[in-house]
Amino acid sequence: MRDYARRLAGSQETGLVAVLFAATMALTLLAGSHLDRASGISINNFWNSHTLVQTATDASFFAIMAIGATMVIIAGGIDLSVGSIYALSGVGMALALRGTAPASGGAALATGLTTALGIGLLCGFLNGVLVVGLRVHPFIITLGTMWILRGIAFVATKAESILVPASLTSITKASLGLGGGLFPVPMLAMLALALIGTIYLARTVMGRHIFAFGGNPEASRYAGLSPARIQIGVFVVSGLTAGLAAFLGASFYGSASSGDAQGYELYVIASAVVGGASLTGGKGSALGATLGALLIVLIRQSIRTLHFDQNYEWIVIGCAIIIAVVVDRWTMSMTQRRFNFGTGRSA
Amino acid sequence: MTPPAVRFEGVSKRFPGVVALSDVTLDIARGSCHALCGENGAGKSTLGKMLAGIHAPDTGRMFVNGAEVRFTSPRDALAAGVGMVHQELSLCENMSVAENLCLSDIPRRGGFVAGEAMEQRAREMLALIGADLDVSQRVGELPIARRQIVQIAAAVGSGARVLVFDEPTSSLSQADAERLYELIARLRGDGVTCIYVSHRMPEVFHLCDTITVLRDGAVVGTKSAAELDESAVVQMMIGRALGVNAVREGVRGGEERLRVEGLTAPGKFEDVSFSLHAGEIVGLAGLVGAGRSEIAAALFGLDRHSQGHIYIDGKDVDIRTPAHAIRLGLGLVPEDRKRQALVPLETSVRNASLAVLTRLTRLTWVRRRAERTMVDEYFRRLRVKPAAAAAPIASLSGGTQQKVVLARWLAAQSRVLILDEPTRGVDVGAKAEIHALIAEVAASGTAVLLISSELPELLALSMRIFTVRGGRIVGRLERSEASEESLLRQMAGIA
Repeated sequence: MRDYARRLAGSQETGLVAVLFAATMALTLLAGSHLDRASGISINNFWNSHTLVQTATDASFFAIMAIGATMVIIAGGIDLSVGSIYALSGVGMALALRGTAPASGGAALATGLTTALGIGLLCGFLNGVLVVGLRVHPFIITLGTMWILRGIAFVATKAESILVPASLTSITKASLGLGGGLFPVPMLAMLALALIGTIYLARTVMGRHIFAFGGNPEASRYAGLSPARIQIGVFVVSGLTAGLAAFLGASFYGSASSGDAQGYELYVIASAVVGGASLTGGKGSALGATLGALLIVLIRQSIRTLHFDQNYEWIVIGCAIIIAVVVDRWTMSMTQRRFNFGTGRSA
Repeated sequence: MTPPAVRFEGVSKRFPGVVALSDVTLDIARGSCHALCGENGAGKSTLGKMLAGIHAPDTGRMFVNGAEVRFTSPRDALAAGVGMVHQELSLCENMSVAENLCLSDIPRRGGFVAGEAMEQRAREMLALIGADLDVSQRVGELPIARRQIVQIAAAVGSGARVLVFDEPTSSLSQADAERLYELIARLRGDGVTCIYVSHRMPEVFHLCDTITVLRDGAVVGTKSAAELDESAVVQMMIGRALGVNAVREGVRGGEERLRVEGLTAPGKFEDVSFSLHAGEIVGLAGLVGAGRSEIAAALFGLDRHSQGHIYIDGKDVDIRTPAHAIRLGLGLVPEDRKRQALVPLETSVRNASLAVLTRLTRLTWVRRRAERTMVDEYFRRLRVKPAAAAAPIASLSGGTQQKVVLARWLAAQSRVLILDEPTRGVDVGAKAEIHALIAEVAASGTAVLLISSELPELLALSMRIFTVRGGRIVGRLERSEASEESLLRQMAGIA
């Protein structure tokens, strides 16, 4: 039990939760409040249900992608094409819905989800096959597909925005009994996926193989693991999460265009890295990626809430990424030190 | 009286959780070749690295030629005349010999690299130690022995008068090691003081005039080599006497597990045929580069271009991936542990179970309790300390790491086990344990193919020994006919 507590205290996610908590507290204290005109009650400018859910919703779309992209990063690769997969899945789904014009919300849900996930899966598979088959570094392959896939989306839509049927939007924007103009579906999807991703990485054979392969591809091959299966697998997962995010995003906002999620790949990688993933592979977590995404969105939100000049947003986020990684390495070496003390001997 | 070339005075060094050195006081006489011996983790490499400016002592003082020195980088050490030849070679593999040799001060003309001058200077540096290499060749293309020469030339060429050798022969063949010995003798003739970190007894006695033994970070004793013999040093190193470790317990005449017929990989080896029976340990001798590891790789499905026939339990099989080899009951403890066997960030348990995870599942879930039970069982047999189980494998000693790799294949219940240099970089105590284990595994009916550069190891364990030279099997000796001399002759091709 004590061992468990120590592991919990030493884990990266605990540190991130602490930082998130501290940031939330600080923001609540500094945000000030306003009077609600209808009820005459004083409401905190940050700590109110609307802003909180809105912040989580903002984070959810790229947090979901970050969970998939983290797996690619743990396996020692990188996926720059997630933003483009999002765009292509989104417009693909919108076009399919326009073409079939499903009568009911349920039919729209089935069609939308299948096309979005299907396109995501295909794109991820394409990335994986290219990386394995051509033996080119994932950075190059996904840099290429990043443009190719967005280009396909652009050509397919003739650069128009495609509307998504309102019946589908009403599902993704279901209030689930919360009322008051709150739409928790994307947020809940993010939390569910963080849970699934965490379990997948920690408890399944594929999850363990991903860590091993990222930690030492050569040794993994010598231990009988299939590099091709692992690499294609992580790209497929990454494509699927991008497809899911696109489904949620397009149906939530009611339209899809080839320009959607531009630059998301960098937010996604930043979330993974702030969440503890190492670009050299072998390290990272799904929960960490989610928390990383939340932290980045929180920073963005704080600039709005505190009425800072929005032009500083990028500078602040950039600094936050670097600080997060440096602090992470610092705490790693601290726990490493404690650890070595426990076992008594090193190389 | 001239001051000693190097003097350590009450030097201590702690690493996180470990006392690497405690209160070491030691003089190294000028012009001597001074051996630092000890098991892995005894602190011998740390002492050498301290002198070379890689680690700074926590307390205590160091003197070079009588003057106190405080090094904060290898550059400082070199400026004071101390150079080091590393265990893990530290050269830029992507650059040429000349560039590596002149790296700290590349000759330039008007801001551009002066190529001719650089190559000229590199040749001069090599000539200084009597070596002759193509200075325009990329270091990455050189065999390890040549890279070492580059390192030595770099140190001596920049004025080092004290050289620290950290286990320089650990990845050299016998012939290359001999050449290194000659070079060291030559350096001593030129008045260079050598500090030789090693736990290989024969070379220590061959090269060194003074021997200091370290154990658990403290000096056990310093004596002239003439006063000591190998067993005395080993006894000092491990703090107890070590019995002769001939442990041939396997049984001959089991059924045939593996038969290889006419196995050929173009440019690597040719027409290799042999067979391996249950309960048998067969040795594979040969110089580094003779094709031993390549044969192992081909058997394990790592070489797509090999031709010929491999029979496992009498069945002709075409092994194309390691996964396939494992399914057929093969296991390989590879030559380069760090690169080919370990996932450094993962724990010992996870490293041990890596090859058999798929057998430990319900649907796709890893049954962690079953995993732990299985691994613990093998760790117990291999005497891996329980505390090591949850530790990241990179933080453990070489001996423990190797035991974990062995546990991986025992857990996979390999029926044919290929061991490529199973005791490289492993300390004396763990080595004896691994030897005993190999014998035990064979006695339980596993067929073992043992590849080793250490002839005593081959002779102690094998029932038959094949010699590989230039990619061909050139000798087959029964245990009773084999001796170090007969093997060396076959390996080197001397009639």
